[in-house]
Amino acid sequence: MKNPRTPSAASRVLLTAGLAVAAVYFLFPVYWLVIAATKSTGDLFGSSGLSLSNPQLLTNIRNVFEYNGSIFFRWVGNSLLYSGVGALVATVVSIAAGYCLAKFTFRGRDALFNIFLAGVMIPGTALALPLFLLMSEIGLVNTYWAVLLPSVISPFGAYLGRIYASAAVPDSLLEAARLDGAGEFRIFFTIVLRLMTPAAVTVFLFQFIGIWNNYFLPLVMLSDPDRYPLTLGLVSWQSVSDRHPELYQMTIGGALLSSVPLMIAIVSLQRFWRAGLTEGSVKG
Amino acid sequence: MRGRRLAILGLLGPFTALFAATIALPIGFALYESVTAIERSGPLGRGTTSTVFVGLEHYATALSDPAFTASLWRVVLFALVQVPVMIVLATTLALMLDAASARGVKFFRSVYFLPYGIPGVIASLLWGFLYTPGLSPVLDVASWFGLNIDFLGASSILWSIANIVTWQFAGYNMLVIVAQLKSIDGDLFEAAEIDGASAWQIITRIKLPLIRPAIVLTTVFTIIGTIQLFGEPLILRPLTGSITSTYTPNLAAYNEAFANNNYNLAAAESVLLALVACVFSFAFLKLVNRSGK
Amino acid sequence: MRRRTFIALAAGALTSACAAAPGARPGQTVLRFWSWVPGIDQAVNLWNSQNRDTYVDLELTPAGSSGTYSKMYAAVRGGRGAPDVAQVEYQELPGFALENGLIELGPLGMDQHRDQFVDWQISQSSFGERIYAVPQASGPMALYYRNDIFGSLGLDVPRTWEDYRAAAEAVRADGRYIATFPPGNSAWFAALSWQAGARWFGLDGDVWTVGINSEQTLRVAEYWDELRSQDLISMQPDFSNSWYADLQSGRIVTWPSAQWGGPILSGNAPGTSGNWRAAQLPQWNPDNPASANWGGSATAVLKGSEHPREAAEFAIWLNSDPESIDLLIAGGYGWPSVKDALDGTALDTSEEFFGGQNVNRDVFAPADETIGTDWLWSPTTNATYLHLNDGFAGVVAGGSSFVDVVQQTHRQTVEDLRAKGLTVREAS
Repeated sequence: MKNPRTPSAASRVLLTAGLAVAAVYFLFPVYWLVIAATKSTGDLFGSSGLSLSNPQLLTNIRNVFEYNGSIFFRWVGNSLLYSGVGALVATVVSIAAGYCLAKFTFRGRDALFNIFLAGVMIPGTALALPLFLLMSEIGLVNTYWAVLLPSVISPFGAYLGRIYASAAVPDSLLEAARLDGAGEFRIFFTIVLRLMTPAAVTVFLFQFIGIWNNYFLPLVMLSDPDRYPLTLGLVSWQSVSDRHPELYQMTIGGALLSSVPLMIAIVSLQRFWRAGLTEGSVKG
Repeated sequence: MRGRRLAILGLLGPFTALFAATIALPIGFALYESVTAIERSGPLGRGTTSTVFVGLEHYATALSDPAFTASLWRVVLFALVQVPVMIVLATTLALMLDAASARGVKFFRSVYFLPYGIPGVIASLLWGFLYTPGLSPVLDVASWFGLNIDFLGASSILWSIANIVTWQFAGYNMLVIVAQLKSIDGDLFEAAEIDGASAWQIITRIKLPLIRPAIVLTTVFTIIGTIQLFGEPLILRPLTGSITSTYTPNLAAYNEAFANNNYNLAAAESVLLALVACVFSFAFLKLVNRSGK
Repeated sequence: MRRRTFIALAAGALTSACAAAPGARPGQTVLRFWSWVPGIDQAVNLWNSQNRDTYVDLELTPAGSSGTYSKMYAAVRGGRGAPDVAQVEYQELPGFALENGLIELGPLGMDQHRDQFVDWQISQSSFGERIYAVPQASGPMALYYRNDIFGSLGLDVPRTWEDYRAAAEAVRADGRYIATFPPGNSAWFAALSWQAGARWFGLDGDVWTVGINSEQTLRVAEYWDELRSQDLISMQPDFSNSWYADLQSGRIVTWPSAQWGGPILSGNAPGTSGNWRAAQLPQWNPDNPASANWGGSATAVLKGSEHPREAAEFAIWLNSDPESIDLLIAGGYGWPSVKDALDGTALDTSEEFFGGQNVNRDVFAPADETIGTDWLWSPTTNATYLHLNDGFAGVVAGGSSFVDVVQQTHRQTVEDLRAKGLTVREAS
């Protein structure tokens, strides 16, 4: 540790206790989710939420997988499609824009940057309704495009890209490449993108999670369950469960199945969040 | 130079075009919708409609609707409480992790960050179960101690929502701050140590000022996030009698559009919401800049 | 892999909004059908098993006002994504008609079949003599009560609302509540106002009249205000887990509800089987008994359907074919909209859950006879419901009363209708 002072034993115990209390708070709902996912519908309502009761996790998982023509997998696929494609395109496009704004001077550059910056401030959900009106005008409502198109833009990505490019892409390197006769696009794809990888990964993850977690946009755009992402699908199960109680269990099982891989991914990729975001905030 | 111009076009063009199509154009269209109205004629089921210009009428309607203004105040109140709580919690966790011994730090950090991987609506479903009497082990445990907590009551529901949001994002904000703490030069602490600074002084005099940018960034994102509250109250609504259809501005706009079919008024409400979010974020940045100089 | 999927998806998205249904044979016309009615999957399966040219792809949705109508309105407005056939409750039909969201069914077969259905429900489904939906079921109301608890407390079945109040006091003294006033379910309140003789809406030529704050509605609001202020009723949401738990545990002992409430009761409080009975709703004027209709819905064909004729054919079959009706009855969909519903159908049975009482013959058939059939809904009912719900939520929070909410909702509804460009008059 960088901190040179060795804390006394008492304060160390206190510190660990504090950290542990916080850990209980963050873990408890996850613990409940895991326990609840093993129960039958009857035990879900009839037994303590803290302990196992006739665990039947595999049966529950099979029910989730098989329900309604395995639509769960379709939702997983849709979520991956929206998030994966959306984040990938958003990353490349906004990193390119950020790099361009950092390394090229042209008239109106700062004005443009400020407009993009304003885009960061506009809440995504405030845009969902206007987007719906627009999409219905051009007949794209209830298509994959309706969710995908608005997902491929990340004003924050451009902002981060600009800051990162000014710090991490040396002008001398660009000049040298140009002198060697490399075209601008080649420079971007072979040199710049590599130098900006940490920022690009951050933007990608940020955007991926943003799209994955989005609810309002698909809610207003989609009416065909075959195009739902996971969030919308699971909520649709939950909202009919008052009349079809077996869907309570499905909702819980689906929530667990969809959260676990993402939680693992999030935790194992956390250093990328740190890498890019520090740059963003240091200069911000 | 043609090459340069082409490069600028190629690098910046796609982003600008997408920005225009998915952000600028919808805003423009919403502005247009917000100053027009639908007029009807003909019998039910076979009527015809026409669009008329009504100026700022919808804005006046929205702002004079006590339910809508109440929803704006509600998210502002929510933000005023939620943002400090979230930021203080995230900063405290980050500082605690920074001070703790190496063992266990990685585990704790991961645990705190974990909920960020759970979508907001799923987190709301989850907490919804934990708030429901008869289902919730939390309430069971509380009742052993004779505590009668009502998470879903009229006075507590807003804070039950705040809890969901905090649970989900505190770890993420913590991570941003941790990242900044890591980038501080360790020599600084040593020098302070030699000068006889206490651990507390090191935190307040050195660490906090140096992680200010990270705190500013997380604060702005938290403000933007809290003002667009939508999924959480929507999911919790069937569980409680206390969440109205206009509980937050987003819910109000959504219901105005899809329950009342008044898309024009809904567009005006969306524009107002975006304005409020911008004003708050910019005001905060301005405040920070001024006090930073 | 990803790339190919993406291109396939993109191409699919651009060419057609119809996804192939997994069970359909090639060449079959696929109809998308949205409904939340329990048991309707059985009827749909029956249709699909009969090897027709049309395959019905059922999507179970949340109850209409819990978000499904929003989705349908959005799809109608967006011009795509709307199902071909949809469950629409009577109160929402005028709203869809105002948005031109319904396809007229008279020329598509309903003109020939209209005589099969109860008259008042045909008129609920018609605008200006044109039929826009196929009546499916109604919800005649009665009182479900815990016979065992009433017995042990020595209470008689309440015949009037005054009796009901007395019962509420006795039940409260025993640590229980007589019922919940569901703050989020204004349809229930509307039905009780209907029973009291209120008529919230009227249409005179093209002038809408609004009479929500009529004497009769206010009487109902005041009555429940009194029960509330004496802590004689609970204020929890109905159809919620906590409410089901209270029905099961006996903390709540009655439910003024519709005929379709029976299966919901037996499904969610199975531990109380044999202890429930049904009786006529408590009356305001026992000399002139009245029931009311809660819920009740029709099957509509939404604008944008590419197969309106097939859709209409299915909608008519669903609600008039005896086998289909029996399946729907078994699922608990409500009181059939076809004439002579009781005789020879699955309705005419005694049930163990009700201690062997034949609730349909004993209670709901007579109740059905006493429903005032001139009730009308407005094109902004959804908004009116939201105003009531929001107001009731305010009552839960404290500081206002049901009576205030009714007055407020009356004013807001007049505004809503005006905002739609309709001519409105307040009923005097």
